[in-house]
Amino acid sequence: MIGAAMVVGGGIAGIQAALDLADAGIKVYLVERGPAIGGRMATLDKTFPTNDCAMCIISPKLGAVGRHPNIEILTLAELERLEGAPGDFRATVRRRPRFVDPALCTACGDCAAVCPVRVPSEFDGGLGPRAAAYRLYAQAVPAAYAIEKRGRSPCRDACPIHQRAQGYVALVAQGRYLEALRVIRMDNPFPGICGRVCNHRCEDACSRGQLDGAVNIAALKRFVADWAYARPRQPVARLVPTRSERVAVVGSGPAGLTAARDLVELGYPVTVFEALPVPGGMMRVGIPEHRLPAPIVEREIADILDLGVELRCNTRVAHVRDLFASGYAAVFLATGAHRARRLPIPGADLAGVLVSTDVLQNHRLGKPVPLGQRVLVLGGGNVGFDVARTCLRLGAREVHVACPEAREAMPAHPWEIAAAEEEGVQVHPSTAFVQVVERDGRATGLLCRRVRSMRFDEARRLHLEVVEGSEHVLEADTIVFAIGLAPELDLVQGLEGISTTPWGSLQVDPLTQATGHPGLFAGGDVTTGTAFVVDAIAAGHRAARAIDAYLRRIALQPEPAVPVAKVTPEEIAARLARGHLRRQPRLAVHLLPAEVRRASFVEVDRGFTEEEARREASRCLACGVCAECLECVLACKREAINHAERERVETYRVGAVILAAGVEPFDAVQAEAYGVGRFPNVLVGPQFERLLSASGPTQGHIRRPSDGAAPRRIAFLQCVGSRDQRTRYCSAVCCMYATKEAMLAREHLPQAQATVYYADMRAFGKGFDAYVERAKQQGVRYVRTRVAALREDPRTRNLRFRVEEDGRVCEEEADLVVLSVGLTPPRGAAELARAAGVDLDEYGFVATPSFDPVRTSRPGVFVAGGFHGPKDIPDSVVEGSAAAAAALALLAPARGTQITPKVYPPEMALEAEPRIGVFICHCGSNIAGVVDVQGLAAYARTLAGVAVAETSLYTCSADALERIKHAIAAHHLNRVVVASCTPRTHEPIFREALREAGLNPYLFEMANIRDQCSWVHGADPAAATEKARALIGAAVARAARLAPLHKVPVPVRHEALVIGGGIAGATAALNLADQGFPVTLVEREPALGGRLRAPLVTWDGSDPGAVLRALVDRVTAHPLITVLTGHRVVASRGTVGNFETTVAGPAGERVVGHGATILATGLREWRPVPYGVDEDPRVLTLAEFERELAGAAPPRGGAAASVVMLLCAGPWDRIPFYCSRTCCAQSLAAALAYRRAHPQAPVAVLAREIRTYGFAEEVYLEARRAGVQVFRYAPDDPPRISRTPQGITVTVRDQTLGEEVALRADRLVISPALMPAEGASELSTIFKIPATAEGFFLEAHVKLRPADFASEGLFLCGGAHYPKPAGEAVAGALAAAARAGTLLWRDSLEVGGVVATVDRDRCTSCLTCLRLCAYDAIAFDGDGIAVVDPARCQGCGLCVAACPGSALSLAHYTREQMLAKIDALLGAREAVHVS
Amino acid sequence: MSVEPEPTARTAAVPSTAEASAPQVQIVAFCCFYCAYAAADLAGVMRLSYPPNVRVVLLPCTGGIDPLYILRAFEDGADGVFVAGCLEGQCHYQVGNLHAKSRVRRLKALLDEAGIGGERLEMFNLSSAQGPRFAEVAREMTARISALGPSPLNRAGAEVAP
Repeated sequence: MIGAAMVVGGGIAGIQAALDLADAGIKVYLVERGPAIGGRMATLDKTFPTNDCAMCIISPKLGAVGRHPNIEILTLAELERLEGAPGDFRATVRRRPRFVDPALCTACGDCAAVCPVRVPSEFDGGLGPRAAAYRLYAQAVPAAYAIEKRGRSPCRDACPIHQRAQGYVALVAQGRYLEALRVIRMDNPFPGICGRVCNHRCEDACSRGQLDGAVNIAALKRFVADWAYARPRQPVARLVPTRSERVAVVGSGPAGLTAARDLVELGYPVTVFEALPVPGGMMRVGIPEHRLPAPIVEREIADILDLGVELRCNTRVAHVRDLFASGYAAVFLATGAHRARRLPIPGADLAGVLVSTDVLQNHRLGKPVPLGQRVLVLGGGNVGFDVARTCLRLGAREVHVACPEAREAMPAHPWEIAAAEEEGVQVHPSTAFVQVVERDGRATGLLCRRVRSMRFDEARRLHLEVVEGSEHVLEADTIVFAIGLAPELDLVQGLEGISTTPWGSLQVDPLTQATGHPGLFAGGDVTTGTAFVVDAIAAGHRAARAIDAYLRRIALQPEPAVPVAKVTPEEIAARLARGHLRRQPRLAVHLLPAEVRRASFVEVDRGFTEEEARREASRCLACGVCAECLECVLACKREAINHAERERVETYRVGAVILAAGVEPFDAVQAEAYGVGRFPNVLVGPQFERLLSASGPTQGHIRRPSDGAAPRRIAFLQCVGSRDQRTRYCSAVCCMYATKEAMLAREHLPQAQATVYYADMRAFGKGFDAYVERAKQQGVRYVRTRVAALREDPRTRNLRFRVEEDGRVCEEEADLVVLSVGLTPPRGAAELARAAGVDLDEYGFVATPSFDPVRTSRPGVFVAGGFHGPKDIPDSVVEGSAAAAAALALLAPARGTQITPKVYPPEMALEAEPRIGVFICHCGSNIAGVVDVQGLAAYARTLAGVAVAETSLYTCSADALERIKHAIAAHHLNRVVVASCTPRTHEPIFREALREAGLNPYLFEMANIRDQCSWVHGADPAAATEKARALIGAAVARAARLAPLHKVPVPVRHEALVIGGGIAGATAALNLADQGFPVTLVEREPALGGRLRAPLVTWDGSDPGAVLRALVDRVTAHPLITVLTGHRVVASRGTVGNFETTVAGPAGERVVGHGATILATGLREWRPVPYGVDEDPRVLTLAEFERELAGAAPPRGGAAASVVMLLCAGPWDRIPFYCSRTCCAQSLAAALAYRRAHPQAPVAVLAREIRTYGFAEEVYLEARRAGVQVFRYAPDDPPRISRTPQGITVTVRDQTLGEEVALRADRLVISPALMPAEGASELSTIFKIPATAEGFFLEAHVKLRPADFASEGLFLCGGAHYPKPAGEAVAGALAAAARAGTLLWRDSLEVGGVVATVDRDRCTSCLTCLRLCAYDAIAFDGDGIAVVDPARCQGCGLCVAACPGSALSLAHYTREQMLAKIDALLGAREAVHVS
Repeated sequence: MSVEPEPTARTAAVPSTAEASAPQVQIVAFCCFYCAYAAADLAGVMRLSYPPNVRVVLLPCTGGIDPLYILRAFEDGADGVFVAGCLEGQCHYQVGNLHAKSRVRRLKALLDEAGIGGERLEMFNLSSAQGPRFAEVAREMTARISALGPSPLNRAGAEVAP
C-alpha cells in the first residue's frame, strides 16, 4: 500500500482533493497540463450567487497548494499510463519542458517584457496577446514563468544554418532592429549578404505561404542589416585567445570566414590565407555589384576580422603540408570553386570565347573585360544571368543567354530571369550548343539545335534529345561559358587520405567536414561545387565545431532532433475563423526601373522602408511560438532560462488516482449560426468574464471588439452547445453565469441594457432563485426564447436576431452578444481516460455509477468535478473532497508513510536587546534598477537595533537563504527583516529559513520594496528610494518589538459523531469508519435510511433502494460504527478536536466524546399540503405516486386515468420561493413511467420552470417524446384547481404559449417543497451554527467551503445543506468525511499564533468582544473576564480594535508594534540612529 | 479581435505630469491582507504607476484597525489616510470591513471636530483582482489631499503634540 496519490488536473476540484489528501497524511502529486494550477475558476471575474471575487477566494487555496509540504505540483504534465492495482499503481507521466527553472524563477517578468512573440492569450479567451514567455495569470502558482514552444519553426528548419528567422522577424515587427541583428548574427555572420543573395529556403517552408504568400524573410533580413549599417559602426571588441592550438583557414569566402569567426569565438588563434588581393571569395568577386555591393561585403568581413582573425591576402598556399609544417594544429580548406569550365565543343578555345570568371572576377577586381557588342552567355543558371547583366552594364549592345533547359526548368531564380529580361537580356531556352562559328580565328556565333528533352544520368552526365533539322546560328562576337565552376585541388595533391568525388570536388564527412587526412577539414564550394552562400556558412559552422572537438579530443555530440512546428491549413482556417488572423498579401520589394539599372552597377533591389518592414514582419504566424531569439536569456539575471530543456517521462508510485481534468467550454465556432469569429461583437461567456475582470485584457472595461465602444445593449444567449441535437444535456451553470455576467455588466455600465434570452431558468441551487430576483431588481431583463441565429448589420456591426415572446415573433438588436456556451469534456479526455483505464460515457465524460459519483470503472481511480459532468464550483469542490475521501478509505493504513515531517533545531533563547539583520533584495534589476539598494543597506545600518545589513541579487534564492541562516548564527541575530517583495508569497519562505536557523518564525518582518515601490514608482527612482527607506525603517521599528509566538498542541479525539442516518449520514459514517475512525451515528427515527427508504422511480434503471440497503447493512455491520437509532442530540460542548455531545434515547442519555461532528439531518416534505392531499383520494403527493408506480401501493384510477402533476408547491406566501432541486427530474421520471405503463393516459406536468439540469435533461427529453405535456406557469399566476366530484380541472396559463389551458385530471399529483428536517433548528442552537432563512445550515463559504462550518470541527452534508438528489448527497457526505478525516488523523492541533489575548486586569466584562466575534471564539469565565479560545480565534483583530478598555491585544500586531511601525513609516519618532 | 503587438509592460510606468508636480503630501494606506494588500501587489505586477507618497501598512483585516492607528498617523505627519478592505459582503473575516467602515465614518466626524478635516480620511473596498483600482485609489487620494494641502498639523507653526 503506497501512501501517495496522484491528482490529475489542477482546477478547483483537483486542488481541493490534493489539499484534503495532503492534510490527511497522503503524499500528493498534482499533475497539471498547463503551466499553472487554478483551472477555469482562476479565469473568472466573480462567482455566483454571492458575486465574490473569484481570485480573492481561490488565491489562498492556490497558495496553500503551492506551499504544502506534502504536495508536489507537476506542471506541463500529462498522465500517460497507469499500471498496477489499487493501493499500488505505477503512474507514467510525460512532462513537457517549461524552459524556465521554477526553483530559480522569481516571476519578475523580465523575460516576458523582452519576448517579441505575441500569441493570443488563452487565459484571456484570445482577447488579448501574450508573449511566448508568460505567466498564465498574475497570481499563478507555481509563481514562475514558462516559455511555450511548439517546436522549431519551418523557416528555421528549412535553413541549412537553422537561422532563427521567426525570432528576428518578430523583433522587426516590434521595431527592435538592433536585437534583430543580434539574433541573425547568432547563426549567420553575413546578414546583409544573405539578405540579398540567399535563395531563402525559409520562405519556401513558410507556413504563411499556405494562405497569402510567404513572409518576405529575405527582405526583412536585408532591412535589418541596412538599418544597422546606416548607423555609426560600433567598435567590435577583440577576443583574446584562450587556446594555444593555431588554426589555418585557406580561403576567405563564406565558409572560411564563418569557420574563422566561430573558432576565434571558441578561443583559437586563426589565420586566414587568401590568394586574391581582397577577401570574400565569390561574395566579393563572383557576385556582381548590382546584386551585392562591395561595401556590404567589406563591412561584414570587417566585423569578423575585428574579432581577432588574422587575414593574409595575396597569399596563395601552395600545399597544405606547408601549413601543418609551420605549426597549425588544424587546417580548414575553403578555397571555393573558381575554375570555370568550357564545353568540349569545336571552337571553344577561339578568340572571343570567354568563361564566366573572365567577366565577373576581372570586373570586380578592376581588371579590363574584353567584350564585343553582341554577347552570348551559355548557361541558364544564376551565374549566367550575373554575367549577362554585368555585360549589359559594361556596355554590350545586345546580350543573349542560351541554355539547354526548357524555360520553366532553368536553374536561375525566376525573378532573376525576369529582371534580366526587363533590362533587355534575350533568353534562348531549350538550346543545345553544337559548335562555335568562326571567322578569321575569332568567334562570330554559335551553331545551335533545339532541345526536345534533357536529363542527367546517375553520373551527372547530360543526355539531350534534339529536334532534327533545327540547326541555327546565334550570332555573337563574344561568347561566355557560364556552365559551372570546378574546385582546384593542387594544394592537397598527393596528401594521404584525400579522396575526391566523381565530379571533382573534395570528399568530406558530411557531419564534420573532415577529410580523410587528420586535422584537415574542408567546406564550401571546394567540397560541393558551386552552391549557395548559406550552404557554405553551414559548412563553416560544422567545420568549426568539428575542429574544436578534434583539437580537444572529444567526440562531437550529434544535435538532437527537434520537431517542426508547421501551422496546418486547418489551424490557419481556425485562426481566420476566430478573427486572430487576417488576410494580408506578401509585400514585395521595390526594384530600380530597368532603364536606370541597366546603365549602372547601382543595386537593383531597393529593400523595404521601415514601415514596410514592420508591416511585413507582422504577417509572421509565429509557428514555433517561442522563436528562440534568446532575448529572455539575456534579460534573466537569475539565469533561470534553459532553452535546451527536453521532455521527460517519469514514473510515480501511488496508491490511488483522482481524475479532475475539468471541462472545456463549448467551441462556439462550431455553432456557425452565431458567427463567432466572423462577427467581432459576438463573444462567448468565458471571454466576457475576462472583459469584466480588472486584471483582464481591458482592465475591467466592457468594450466592443469591433470599435472599442461601450455597448448599450448586451444580449446573453443561453444554451449554446447545450440541450441541442448533439449535446442533449444541460450544462447546469450557464443560466447562473449569464445572470452574473448580466448583473455585472449593469454594474459596469449602468446605462446599458442587459438581456438574458433563455429557455428554462435553471436556478436550482442554494440562493440561486434569490440571485435571479436580485438581477431582475437591478434591471437585468429576461426573455424566455431561444435565439437560433444572428445577423450582423455590416454598417454598425450590431447583431440582429428573432425572438419569440408571449407567442409573438419580433426582431431585436444588440451591440454586443455574449453566448452562454455550455461545458464539454476537457481536451484530451479520451487520451486521459485511456491512460487511466477508465470508461467514458456517451458524451465523453467519465462514467460513474448513479449513487457513487466519484467511482470510476477502475478500482482505485476516482473522478471529481466537471470531468464527469458539468457542474459549478461548490459541487466541484464537494467532489474534490469526496474523491479524496474515497482514496483515504483505500489508503488509510499507509497514511503518513510517504511524507517526512521536517525536524527543526530547538529555538534559541531570546536575548533582551534586539539584534536585527536586514537583508535587501536586488531582485535582479527589478528593485536595484530603480532603488539604490546599497544606499538602503547603509541607511539600515544606522537604525537602532540593526546588527547587520546586506544586499543580495535574489534574497529568496537558496544560496541567499543560506547566507541569512549563516548571518543569524554569526551575528547572533534575533530578528530578521527582508526588504524585497510581498509577504503574501514570500513570508513563508523566509520564516522557514528562520526556523531552520533556530529562530522563532514570528521574529520576522518584510518591507515590500518591489511590488509596492520599485514596480510602481519606476519613473521616479529618487522618490522610490525615499519610500523604500521609510518602508525599511518601519519594518525595523516593528521588528525590534516582535515577540516569539508558540502554538500550543491540543490533543484530538480520533472519533466522529454523525447526526442523521439517511444516505448522507450513513455514507459519511461508513467512510470515516473505513478511514479507521470510530463513529457514532445518531438517528431520530427507529431505522436508518431516511427519505430514501421510500421507493423512488428512476429513469436510468438504477435501484436506489438496493444501494441504500447495502449501505445500511455495511454501516450496521461495521465494527467501528455505533448506531444509535431513536436517539437525538440534546446538548454539546467543547471545541474542535474535543467535543462532548449528549444524546438522549429510549434508554436515557449518554455522552459521546468526539473530535469532529458531521450534520446530515436531511429533509422533510412541506406539510400540510393544500389542494386536497390527505383528504381527497384523487390528490396525492409525488412520493405517494411513486409508491404506486413502484408497486408498493395499490394503484388508484384506471389505465386511462389522466394525471396532472403540479410542481413547485410550497409555502411561498410565507417565505421566498426556492427550488427543491430534485422534483423536476423525479416528477418527469414518474410521469414517464406512468405514460409507459398507460400509453393512453394523458399526463401533464405543470411547473414554474423545468430544472432537469445536467444529465437529468435526458428524462425531460424522454418524457416529452413519450407524450408528457409540460406547461410553465408564472409565479404570480399559479394554476387554478377546481375539484368537483365529477373531476378535477386544472387551469394554467402557459408562459411560452401565452395562452390559458384547462386540463382535466383524474389524478392530481403534488410535488411539495423539500424543507430542513425537524430538529435542524434545535441543532442550530446546540452547535451555534448559522442557518438560512429557510432553515438550511449555512456553510463556511458558499463556493469553496461547502462542507465546512465556519466553526472548526463541524461539517455538513446532504439535505441539511440544501435539497439535492441522492447521488449529490453521497458526494457531499464523502466530502464531509474527508474534511473530518483531515482533522481526526492528527494527534494534536496547533492552536494560537496570531490570535487575540486578554489583559485580565483591564477587562470590564462589557461583552463587546463577545457580541462582535464572528467565530464564537470569546467566552466569559466565572470571574466575568473574557477568555479567547485560541482554537476558534481567526486573528482578525475585530474585538481588539473594538474593546473599550483596551483589554484585548492581537498577537503579532500589538499596539506597540503597530504604532512603532506607523511612527517610523512617517519618520516621526524615528528610531534613534546609531552614531 | 486581432492580436496586435503591444508595448511591453515596462513602458507603462510613465508618470503623468499631474503626478510629477503633486505637492509632497504623505498618505498612509491601511490595507487588509486578503484583498486590498493583494490588489496593491497586483498593481505592482501590472506595473501601474501611482504616486510614491502613498505608503501601505498591512493589517490582517480592516476590522482590526484601531482608531488610534489612524490618529497616530495624522499626528505623525500624514496628510491623508485611507483604509482599504475587501469588497462589502466579501470580507475574509465575515464583516470586519463593515466595522472598519463605521469606524472610519465616526473618525471622519472626529477629524472634522479637531479641525484636521474628515475628508482626509477615507474607506475604500477592493477585491484582490483590482490592481488598477488600487492605483486609481492612490491617485484619487493624492489628488484630493494635494488639493486640500498639507494637514493643519503639518503647517508651519502648528503645534504638534508630542
